[in-house]
Amino acid sequence: MQGDALAETLRIEGGRVLATLIRWTGDIDLAEDAVQDAILIALERWPRDGAPSNPAAWLTTAARRRALDRLRREANRTTKERAAVHLLDDDENWRQPAGVGHDQLRLLFTCCHPALAPDVQVALTLRTLCGLTTYEIARAFLVAEPTMGQRISRAKRKIAMARIPYRVPEDHELPDRLPAVLATLYVVFTIGHHAVSGQLDARVAPRGRRRPAGAVGGGAHARRA
Amino acid sequence: MPRYAALIYGSAADENNDVAPDAWAEIMAQYNAFGEEAGAAGVVGGGEALQPTSTATTIHVTGGKRGGDVVTTDGPFAEAKEVLGGFYLLDCADLDDALKWAAQIPGAWLGRVEVRPCIDFSQG
Repeated sequence: MQGDALAETLRIEGGRVLATLIRWTGDIDLAEDAVQDAILIALERWPRDGAPSNPAAWLTTAARRRALDRLRREANRTTKERAAVHLLDDDENWRQPAGVGHDQLRLLFTCCHPALAPDVQVALTLRTLCGLTTYEIARAFLVAEPTMGQRISRAKRKIAMARIPYRVPEDHELPDRLPAVLATLYVVFTIGHHAVSGQLDARVAPRGRRRPAGAVGGGAHARRA
Repeated sequence: MPRYAALIYGSAADENNDVAPDAWAEIMAQYNAFGEEAGAAGVVGGGEALQPTSTATTIHVTGGKRGGDVVTTDGPFAEAKEVLGGFYLLDCADLDDALKWAAQIPGAWLGRVEVRPCIDFSQG
C-alpha cells in the first residue's frame, strides 16, 4: 500500500479507531494523541513491511498501546490511573468489531449533546468524526484558527468535566436528541459540498459527493460507442 | 459518584413580592415531592434554600490575604434580574442523569436551574 491509498486507508480507519479510543479512554485529547501516534507508526512501517490484513485492528491495537503508555506516564494522576486499569481490564471488548460503527454513532450523539452550543456541536463532529483539522474547521466557520481551537478545547473540557456521556440515547430520549444530530449532519454535509481547502469535500462526504465532470464524460463516451 | 450542584435561579421581582400563602404552600409541596423522590433514589447529597438577596452581604478582602482590609457591601455580588434562591447537591453518574433530576426541581419551571459539576479534590 503506497502514497494516496495508504493515506486514505489511515484516514478512514483512523476515524473509526478514534471513536473506539474515545469510548475507552473517556478523553478526546488522549484518544486523538494515541491514534495520531499509531498512524505515524503505520506510515513508517506499512510501506516497508506491507500493510496488515486488518488495518483497523492493527491501528486499534497500536493506538491502545500508545494510550496506555501515555496514561502510565501520567500515572501520578489517580483518575488517569483508574482509566488505564479500566482500559487494560476490558480486553474482551476490544476484540468486538461490531462495536466500531456503534462507537461512531455514540460519539456523534456526544458531539451533538444539547449541553454544547450548536456551532460547537458541528465543529466537534467535523473534528472527531470527519478528521478535519482545526485550520479547516476555522475556514469553514470563517473564524480565526486560534478562536476555533479554543472553542474546540473548551468543548472537550466540558465533555470531560461535566461528564457528558458517550452513549446513544434510549428510544424515549431520541425525539429530544435526534434533531441536533440531524442538524449537525446537514451542516457537515453542506460544508462538505463547499470545499474550503483541498480534498475537504471528499473527506467530509465521501459517499455523497457527486462527480458531474466524470458523469458527463462517461455519458458522452457511451453515446459515441 | 460525581457530584453536581443544581443552582436554582428565580426572578428578583418574585423574590421581593410576597407570595400568597396558598401559592407558597403549593411551591413547598412541589419541593417536598422532589426531595422525597430524589432522596429515595439516593441522589441528593445536600442542599439549602436561601433567604432573599436583600439579606445578602458581600465581602471582599483587599490588600493581601487574610488580615487585609475587609470591604463589606450590602446586597448580592451582582445585581441581576434572576437571583440564586437555593441549591441542591446531586450525586449522579453523568450529566444526562444530573439534567434528568434537575428537570424535576420545581425551580426548573418556576425559574431556571443551572447544573454545574463540582470539583472532586480527592482525585487528581
